[in-house]
Amino acid sequence: MYNDKLRDFIKSAFEKKLIEAVMAPAPTKDSYTYALITRKEDVDKLTPIAPVMQWNGADMLRRITRLKKSGRKLLAILRPCETRTFKELVKFNQINPDNITILSYDCPGTVHAREFKNEKISEEELIEKMKKNEISEKVRDSCNVCEYPTPIKGVGDIGFGIIGVEEPVFFSLSDNGKEFLKNMGIEEGERDDTKWIEIHRNNREKWLKEERIKGGTKGIEDFLSSCLNCHNCKDACPICFCKECFFEDHSVFDYESDKYFRWADEKSGIRLPTDKTLFHLGRLIHMGTSCIGCGLCQQACPMDIPLYRLFGIVGNDLQKLFDYKPGVNDDIPPVMDFREEELQDFEGLPEEGD
Amino acid sequence: MNEEKEKEFEPVIVGFFCNWCTSAAADMAGTARLHYPPSIRPIRVMCSSTVDPVYLIRALQEGADATILGGCHPGDCHYINGNYKARRRVAIVKTVLKSLGFDDERILLEWISGSEGPKFARVMNEYTELIKKKGPSDFKYIDSLGGD
Repeated sequence: MYNDKLRDFIKSAFEKKLIEAVMAPAPTKDSYTYALITRKEDVDKLTPIAPVMQWNGADMLRRITRLKKSGRKLLAILRPCETRTFKELVKFNQINPDNITILSYDCPGTVHAREFKNEKISEEELIEKMKKNEISEKVRDSCNVCEYPTPIKGVGDIGFGIIGVEEPVFFSLSDNGKEFLKNMGIEEGERDDTKWIEIHRNNREKWLKEERIKGGTKGIEDFLSSCLNCHNCKDACPICFCKECFFEDHSVFDYESDKYFRWADEKSGIRLPTDKTLFHLGRLIHMGTSCIGCGLCQQACPMDIPLYRLFGIVGNDLQKLFDYKPGVNDDIPPVMDFREEELQDFEGLPEEGD
Repeated sequence: MNEEKEKEFEPVIVGFFCNWCTSAAADMAGTARLHYPPSIRPIRVMCSSTVDPVYLIRALQEGADATILGGCHPGDCHYINGNYKARRRVAIVKTVLKSLGFDDERILLEWISGSEGPKFARVMNEYTELIKKKGPSDFKYIDSLGGD
């Protein structure tokens, strides 16, 4: 029903010539993919609200607009987390937002792509639960503790409200969205999403307290002990957009064999391949301040390491330090900015008696 | 050899020193014959902001017991604002370490200008004392079989 509603919306936008292309999820045999379509006839192939998030949609937009702005008027249908990613990537100059209109919706959460492959679930089922303000036990960990499960004013253009209303409503999130809805001839509606946000935030509070990885070297080594060093988490991460990575081409950390033998002497044996844990710590340092919380690192992990516990919780600490919320407003990302008077606690020798 | 090591722990501290200030201060401390411990292994960099925090934890992982990043005092950066960026980066790496239960005092950010030879010697002495008190770092056992 909700997907039909959105498909009708897209078709009518095509008819009114407000858009020339759409990017939204489309079903495949065992999962969902993102699809870019340019004709009204293809709209029925789309499932705007999908129960699976195989990739981050903002990452897909980055891929098609990183060289040049979108050449056609594009409507992208993104989840709230993807919309925040979009905003964050625009700040990093990775996406050219010109000509792109974003529609986001009240998100019921998504199922782990591998679990979905084994046991199919329809988006209607997740949405029905959401309408009763219940989070399905099948959704991914990161969806369960999502901080912003609904569209935010100022992030994206158009909101599609599902919670607390019989008939879904459209509302604007930006001036562009307001204009768009006006041209579509759609009356803006209202709905109340506070309860849905509240249950997620409560889950999140509890999760931040209980799931932290502690214990220094032993803690992190135990947590990552089954890691294959495949770097899938990095590839799935929308914030890890660098073309060259410290840890990908090992020329930065390439040594002659003598060094490895010496380290083996000193550390009572080294693990091979080397730098497996250092990779995760390095990644945390580079992207933690902008971690959106999409949880795709965890979904991409072939060994089912609950990586979102690492990136989400440490990321939360970093974001608290800079009083920064990635993707929810126009603040500059901490790694691109500085103040002259700040962070004095991090300078100099620790005080005596500490 | 091992017994000797146990008797007195001599830490290894890697210092990344800005070319325009802390490195000059190190030279000054040397020419003034101020004493500072041999535990410091200085590396001259063009600016404190050129040191990616990954290099700091890399040094700790390769066997250093502590690292120092030495830069110009706020407002005095040769490249206008590099030291402010370095401060943010150090804040990030220290927060990550602390958050995971590591000792974040094993990374030190210190502003030492080119004329502060005595301060350079004092900081190196005090920091070495502190690290001696703390004992060997267990961060070096990341990606190894050693440690507890």
